[in-house]
Amino acid sequence: MRLLVIGAGPGGYVAALKAAQLGAEVTVVEDTEVGGTCLNRGCIPTKALVASAEAIHKARNLKDFGVDVSGEIVPNLSRIMERKNKVVSTQVKGIRSLFKSWGVALIEGKGMLLTPGKVEIQKKDGSVEIVETDKIVIATGSKPARIPIFPFDGEHILSSDDALNIKSIPKSLIIVGAGVIGCEFACIFRELGTEVTMVEMMPGAISTEDPEISRLLEKELKKKKIKLLTEVKVERVEGQHDGIHVGLAGGRELVAEKLLVSIGRSLNTEGIGLEAIGIKKGSRGEIEVNEHMETNIEGIYAIGDVTGGILLAHVASKEGIIAAYNACGIDKKIDYSVVPAAIFTSPEIASVGLREDQASEKGMDYITGHFQFRALGKAHAMGEISGFVKVIADKDTDRLLGVHIIGPHASDLIHEAAVAIKAGLKVRDIADTIHAHPTLSEGLMEAAEDVHGEAIHVPKPK
Amino acid sequence: MNFPKDLKYHREHTWVKVSGKKATVGITDYAQDALGDIVYIDLPEVDAETKKDAEFSEIESTKATSSVIAPVSGTVIEVNEDLEESPEIINEDPYGKGWIAVVELTDPSELDDLLDGADYERYIEEEAK
Repeated sequence: MRLLVIGAGPGGYVAALKAAQLGAEVTVVEDTEVGGTCLNRGCIPTKALVASAEAIHKARNLKDFGVDVSGEIVPNLSRIMERKNKVVSTQVKGIRSLFKSWGVALIEGKGMLLTPGKVEIQKKDGSVEIVETDKIVIATGSKPARIPIFPFDGEHILSSDDALNIKSIPKSLIIVGAGVIGCEFACIFRELGTEVTMVEMMPGAISTEDPEISRLLEKELKKKKIKLLTEVKVERVEGQHDGIHVGLAGGRELVAEKLLVSIGRSLNTEGIGLEAIGIKKGSRGEIEVNEHMETNIEGIYAIGDVTGGILLAHVASKEGIIAAYNACGIDKKIDYSVVPAAIFTSPEIASVGLREDQASEKGMDYITGHFQFRALGKAHAMGEISGFVKVIADKDTDRLLGVHIIGPHASDLIHEAAVAIKAGLKVRDIADTIHAHPTLSEGLMEAAEDVHGEAIHVPKPK
Repeated sequence: MNFPKDLKYHREHTWVKVSGKKATVGITDYAQDALGDIVYIDLPEVDAETKKDAEFSEIESTKATSSVIAPVSGTVIEVNEDLEESPEIINEDPYGKGWIAVVELTDPSELDDLLDGADYERYIEEEAK
């Protein structure tokens, strides 16, 4: 069976490798670089910058750890960017060598569907190649959303792509959109020394998360002196000699050296021949797929951002695996019931399962438990005490429904909860499991105990 | 523990010092001792309204996060910005340099609900039992 994958992001490259492992003859078409947004313009480069930001933060606070430093702590942006680029290129090489190892052919160019069995490729070297295939996976991803009010120039008015390649540290930065991307960049730039002001239309920062988590994040942003203006709309953007002027509804004007726009992502569905072969799209232009990740046309699958579902790399990867199995004749269905999310703000945020409002919507009777990291010895030893673990459980069955964490290493801690929810475990199963001391994982155990009012390291309620 | 006689006390462990229509507000020696080392205070904004018995600020110590309850209603006219960089001042001098805000009173009669130093001391002794 010949499989052609269009797009080598975290969806496409994973689909290609899985299909190759299952014995398919796989070709991948990619018009920029393997790894897609995630590796080249998203998850990985931002985390490299987060690591530099954390290093700066720690260096500035070495005194607290009993280390004397002589001299100033100065971020060197070109070296920070070099390190980031090195991290990315190492991972890119890794994917390319996995392709080689599994016999996946990579064609560098832009793929366009001609028929359900034929794809035209505009190659980077200018030539055109027509590839015949039995099945196709569309994994073209998404890009930063652009709306006309923001005249992007890549230098002063930036998308998240541009922000990853800035040449100097701006003195001041306005970020429009206090979602995941905006908040991650706010924390990075603040640590580099930039004065950051965020503007958000919604009532709070990262309003897709549990409201208690959002509130604590807002307080942590305030501690860092990141300004957050909420429930306010940008009406006007203008470049002047003294910087970018941003006019807000109500007449207020902000001025900063640069503007970063992080207002969402648009799906890459144009120019790939979807219409030519009649692939069905939804109201937002997303490719419609069934639970086998198959489109309305048999043998053509779509995965990742382009399907408009959950725009997360790890979801795209799982969808890619499901598509690969089905393309190879093994029946598998996608299951979105347990999708952990990780946000690399400072402190980190992670969640899995239901929020309280979702549990209510489902008509479930639930109870919650909380535990503050500052009650853990390990958090004090690390010098990172802000944050908490929140557990949501079914009141009748005691089953774990959701876990929401803000605090040190939240992105790593969440997976114990993910496995527990996937396995249908009860809160008591977590509470009754001995957790190693001293670890941050004790936070989940104590929050689980708190569901039944049995946590050890909390004062007696009044 | 010290409870100066010229202050009025709220049962949620805040104090006020009244001068005309203005009231300086802070947390008591008992509160700072119970919280332990204070690492952050989320100060109210100038011009914010306070409502007696409602939260108007939040304090974080190394062991707890705690609401600060307004002892009086009014408008915040000044906040102690020194606490932003050095919140530990509250531990060191809760009735002096560790003041939190100055509030312009909207209802001075509320002061009658507050305790004097001796009553507050008896109240916390009772609570501790």
